[in-house]
Amino acid sequence: MFRKILIANRGEIAVRVTRTLHEMGIAVVAVYSDVDRASLHVRMADEAERLGPAPSSESYLGIDRILEAAKKHGAEAIHPGYGFLSENADFAEACEQAGLVFIGPSAESIRALGSKTAARERAIHAGTPVVPGTEGAVTLDQARAFAQQHRYPILLKAVAGGGGKGMRRVDRDSDLESALRDASSEAERAFRNPEVYLEKLIERPRHIEIQILGDRHGNMVHLGERECSIQRRHQKVIEESPSPLVAQHPEMRQAMGEAAIRAARAAGYYNAGTVEFLVDPDRRFYFLEVNTRLQVEHPVTELVTGLDLVKLQVEISAGAELPFRQQDITWRGSAIECRVYAEDPYNHFLPFPGKITRLERPLGPGIRLDACVYEGWTVPMEYDPLLAKLGVWAGTREDAVARMIRALNEYEVGGIRTNIGFFRQIFQDPALREGRLHTGFIDEFLARDRPPAPPPELLTVAALAAALESIAPEPAAQPASKNGGNAWVLAGRRELLR
Amino acid sequence: MKLNLIVDGTPQEIEILAPAPHSRFRLDGGVERAADVAVPGPGLYSILLDGRSYDVQVERTPRHLVVVLDGYRFEIDVHDPRRWSGRSENQRGADVETILAPMPGKVVRVLVAAGDAVEPGQGILVVEAMKMQNEMKAARAGRVIAVTVKEGATVSAGEVLATIA
Repeated sequence: MFRKILIANRGEIAVRVTRTLHEMGIAVVAVYSDVDRASLHVRMADEAERLGPAPSSESYLGIDRILEAAKKHGAEAIHPGYGFLSENADFAEACEQAGLVFIGPSAESIRALGSKTAARERAIHAGTPVVPGTEGAVTLDQARAFAQQHRYPILLKAVAGGGGKGMRRVDRDSDLESALRDASSEAERAFRNPEVYLEKLIERPRHIEIQILGDRHGNMVHLGERECSIQRRHQKVIEESPSPLVAQHPEMRQAMGEAAIRAARAAGYYNAGTVEFLVDPDRRFYFLEVNTRLQVEHPVTELVTGLDLVKLQVEISAGAELPFRQQDITWRGSAIECRVYAEDPYNHFLPFPGKITRLERPLGPGIRLDACVYEGWTVPMEYDPLLAKLGVWAGTREDAVARMIRALNEYEVGGIRTNIGFFRQIFQDPALREGRLHTGFIDEFLARDRPPAPPPELLTVAALAAALESIAPEPAAQPASKNGGNAWVLAGRRELLR
Repeated sequence: MKLNLIVDGTPQEIEILAPAPHSRFRLDGGVERAADVAVPGPGLYSILLDGRSYDVQVERTPRHLVVVLDGYRFEIDVHDPRRWSGRSENQRGADVETILAPMPGKVVRVLVAAGDAVEPGQGILVVEAMKMQNEMKAARAGRVIAVTVKEGATVSAGEVLATIA
């Protein structure tokens, strides 16, 4: 087993990986950019190395600097986390060439599955169902022919894409030409590749994905599904396992699990990975893509299977065989996770970095909090706004929802804005509570539900608190005035002078 | 002491008859009420009112107070009628458009200079945070009086970036 591992990441995932490595008795080397010097992942690590200035291109994406840091500190392996270099085949290759173990799949597997169109072709060959779409980049004429055959709506997607960039819905022929042009220029700007392909759009789909795990000896299992239908702008916001739909139709888990394993095996996959599917209202599932890394939302799988995916990743990378077979995997209870972002849900979800002046964390039964924040820490403006993943586990989904609401009510982050209050609101929605989910849920919720009017008593309390705060001294402890009064005393004097 | 509040756009008057911890107050000239108020930290209020417990967080922003309780968020302007000299701002506010930072971030581009004529919808500057860029646009036609920030400046939410008249 490894004695020392470098984590080529920051934020909550670096903290999460550190925790498991410490449990395994493995020393951790953290890396950081200048704005992350005081971040939790650096403070928790055994050793740390500066990478460079704040921009990712000069720090967390710097392959050479990271390899140098690993050599200097004597790390034997590198855990890439998610994002940054985690799905960069060149990085995986550079690690192996430098004599370091990349904790993830082979560079060849990342290449084979990294391009969505190549991954789709492999899936087709492996017999995994896919959404009708073009085999690769299209011209306007090809797009028009496809739309005539499969009918609108269709979806334009960047060949090199991800995260919703370069994605466009088209409902009618008259919009096709401009949509294609916009998607292409957005793809060019985001990925330096203007190529766009297209797919038949599945209306009101669910997003359900399968966690897979394989060793280097040809063994592969699936760890069941996660439902991630609650998204905003194609970014997942709430994830859960089991999927409420699969819980009602248990045969789906085996069918999707086997399809996922087929698709991954076709690319010679090992380590942890995720095969994403869209599921239509008739419960037909379609292959979407493979994520060749640990997912943000892996904790919900850990909560229902009792496994530690990071530990398994490390063991697999050290050459171990999977310690179980498919029939040994069991699922228990229900887990839900909310992604807590530094953003302002009351102002178009704009990012809101800044200093955290107050932090109350949810605690108690069934709570798992993966976070990188502490009171007094300044959330940098240079990176992703993900602050924390609030996970809960309970015996049933109904209890897990109740527990999530309870945990959200305990969670307070002051000084910056977060989406915690927004989660409290959407968990009141009957469709969400009953598990009737689809990827357009949040857009429909926002269009339909203006935030409910607060009870009048809350207005009274808010008014009182605001009045008391406004007559209290400024928080930046002003020097006491010569006549010894605080603002209240001064206000009282003014009152007398009236 | 009487304070005029604007709670989410609705005017209210509150009269504070006694401060924390045994606060007494009157809302919009109604009956006098008593509340037990503890202050466990800066901007934190634990309020007991009619036997119910409320945990309230108050944040000061450049423009107003933000009050959060029970998952609700209120934006509250507080004016002390005797201190409030609304005239200057009101007069200025009538025909001046103020461009404010929508979020904390960095000014990555300034698209106009003082003296430029602008059209409605024209980009004034671009603020970036957490990989998201936000172009601030003129709401109406006019002339740029001042751009109060430079490219590369770090700004906080609600900070004045430019004025147009």
